[in-house]
Amino acid sequence: MMTFNYIASFFLIALGFYTIITKFNLIKTVIGLSIADYGVNLLIISIGYVPGGTAPIFTNGELTPLTYFVDPIPQALTLTSIVIGACVTAMSMSLVMKLYDSYGTLDTREIRRLHG
Amino acid sequence: MSNFMNYVHFPIYSVMVLFLGAFLIVVLGKSKMLRSLIALLASGCSLACMIALIKPVMLNGEVIAYWMGSRALAGGYAIGIAMEVDALSLFFGLLISTAVFVSCVYSIQYMSHDDNIPQYFTLFLMLAGGVMGLVLSGDIFNMFIMVEILTFAAVALTAFRNKVYGALEAAFKYLVVGCMGSTCILAGVIVLYANAHTLNFAQLSSIIPGMMGNTSVKIAFALLFVGFSTKAFLVPFHPLAADAHGAAPASISVLISGVLTKSGIYGIIRLTYFLFQTMNLGTFRFLLVFVGCVSMFLCVTMALAQHDFKRLLAFHSISQIGYVMTAVGLCTALGFSSGIYHAMNHTLFKGLLFLAAGAVLHETGTTNLDELGGLSRKMPHTTVLFLIGAFSISGIPPFNGFASKWLIYQACYQKAVESGNFAYVVVTVICLVTSVLTLASFVKVSQSVFFGRLPEKYENVKEVPWGMRLAMGMFAVLCVVTGLFPDAVGRYLTHPAATAAFNVSNYIDSMLGAGAASEALGPFVSGAQNVVFVQPGVWSPVSWLLIMCIALLAVTLVAVSSRYDRYKAPEGPADAKHSLFFSGEEAVYSQVGGSDLFWGFKYNWRHYFSFMHDLHSGILNDYALWAAVALALAMLFMLIVL
Repeated sequence: MMTFNYIASFFLIALGFYTIITKFNLIKTVIGLSIADYGVNLLIISIGYVPGGTAPIFTNGELTPLTYFVDPIPQALTLTSIVIGACVTAMSMSLVMKLYDSYGTLDTREIRRLHG
Repeated sequence: MSNFMNYVHFPIYSVMVLFLGAFLIVVLGKSKMLRSLIALLASGCSLACMIALIKPVMLNGEVIAYWMGSRALAGGYAIGIAMEVDALSLFFGLLISTAVFVSCVYSIQYMSHDDNIPQYFTLFLMLAGGVMGLVLSGDIFNMFIMVEILTFAAVALTAFRNKVYGALEAAFKYLVVGCMGSTCILAGVIVLYANAHTLNFAQLSSIIPGMMGNTSVKIAFALLFVGFSTKAFLVPFHPLAADAHGAAPASISVLISGVLTKSGIYGIIRLTYFLFQTMNLGTFRFLLVFVGCVSMFLCVTMALAQHDFKRLLAFHSISQIGYVMTAVGLCTALGFSSGIYHAMNHTLFKGLLFLAAGAVLHETGTTNLDELGGLSRKMPHTTVLFLIGAFSISGIPPFNGFASKWLIYQACYQKAVESGNFAYVVVTVICLVTSVLTLASFVKVSQSVFFGRLPEKYENVKEVPWGMRLAMGMFAVLCVVTGLFPDAVGRYLTHPAATAAFNVSNYIDSMLGAGAASEALGPFVSGAQNVVFVQPGVWSPVSWLLIMCIALLAVTLVAVSSRYDRYKAPEGPADAKHSLFFSGEEAVYSQVGGSDLFWGFKYNWRHYFSFMHDLHSGILNDYALWAAVALALAMLFMLIVL
């Protein structure tokens, strides 16, 4: 079951990069970045999963050496990663707005004042 | 109270003051006095903390392993968040805090004409804090967080002057490709975690080298290597650096070239020397030297064809980073120490050159090489400071670029002799040719900006304010000092750092307790406890200085003695020979434009230059494609060679 998750996550990362490379619309580029980011999030969460494990929420008395729960560290990492992904989207969208104001287009083929 | 002043706390202080300063400027930044004071204090404290660590870490060879909240090992596993400062981290920390402090001094007067200055200083200190956190961290996930912080701050600062031609575009391209790199780093970190179940750097370094047969570990190396290459702007990520430098304020260019690229280099060193310990394999040395040589040569030729002052400097910046990568990739004691010596010198002279470009922009409002000229009469101090930087980067004795480049040539040649591999002779030749092309391109810059005829519209140009000259002077003094005393630099800075890089077991033991490395790694630990620094050739900068002075005197005498019989252009229609000489200029004493120098060379290489020009199309999709291709090639390399 986890194999499917790993395949899906790397498929999402590849799909995100494919979107960035092939789409000429700036907003689609931003969507591509988000898709790649979701792929990484799925990868992190899948790595922490232990089949049959419960949620890692315990108080001191409940915790015994036999308690069986999923790895909590990747969940914390995913939260960080989601926050960073949101920041990337917000920042790139604000740049896209500014770019549209000054260039009047969203086509990457026309936004190339700096070249050579 | 004295407990808080113990030097083991200094690494966290040096990161903390920068972020604290960023926060305070948001709250109190309305007053100009207050925000300048906070920014100076924060960057100054950070620098002071780093300097105070020189004695214990560099000279006594201690490694500071610092656990946040005293959460040390639990059952042999590193659960807490750690900072680990060895001589290598401290070396880069010193570089970074110096560049940040000087850039901060410069920005106070340089940015005085802009609006939103509090936001500028907030982002500035966040960028500085991000890079400091990256080099001092002992935890690979925190390295990723710091990479994200510094990428965001750098993107925001690139777009800070969003009315500047192309600033938004440069920032967006940098954001997209930079985030592709960050995604690669995160994916690599996670794959490592899946294999080793720890994020602590020292513990990873003790586990991962034994798992190199595992395919997912190989993929993780490729992901991390490409991710950190994005941060160092190595080929094929160099167009982003060129765009970002051209648009960003000069004080930020100093940080992007002097500090951000160093964080990428630091990441690659940690990756190859510590985490995967692959540098004893010939194929990995080949990988680093190859990437370094390509970056070095390709970017210097790109720089020759540029017409914008800062864009030209940006390409040179990547070219010098190529030198660092090549020397580090040799994996010899001399190679590594000369590589990081050059990294230090690159921060100093490139910082100086960017500040000089900023001074020209501040006074004239342009960085276009074809419009400028003759500024040496109006800005004599800036000219002298610029020339010191130009001499340093071109490798002219006694400045620091000469010292480190000379050591790099020696290291390459020594490697060629030791290994009997002819390829390293070729590498030496590429280094030399690149240095010559660098000199050529700086002759072009000084001719077209500071010498020649002053255009009429710049008659009222003044010298820049004292604060900006002070900052440039600091860099210039450091350039000369590090060039004149290479032995002292070696003893106090580069040799301890190189020794640390070859002593992985020491790094692991300091974090996990004595004996952890030999227990975990066993035969993998290379017993290089005493790294020997031998130079194959004779080298005395003072005698080189004397030879240079005599040569300079001779040239000056010849120039002065022939002052009154200058060549006069013949009357009437110019013949073909004459027009070739002046490259078709009509007036006799007109400014010989920067683009007209070396026209013969450029004409012979026109196919190459036009090919490169078309290749750097400026279209985001192309740059993203290059990044994806680099990632695919890195993965293929790992799967084939290991």
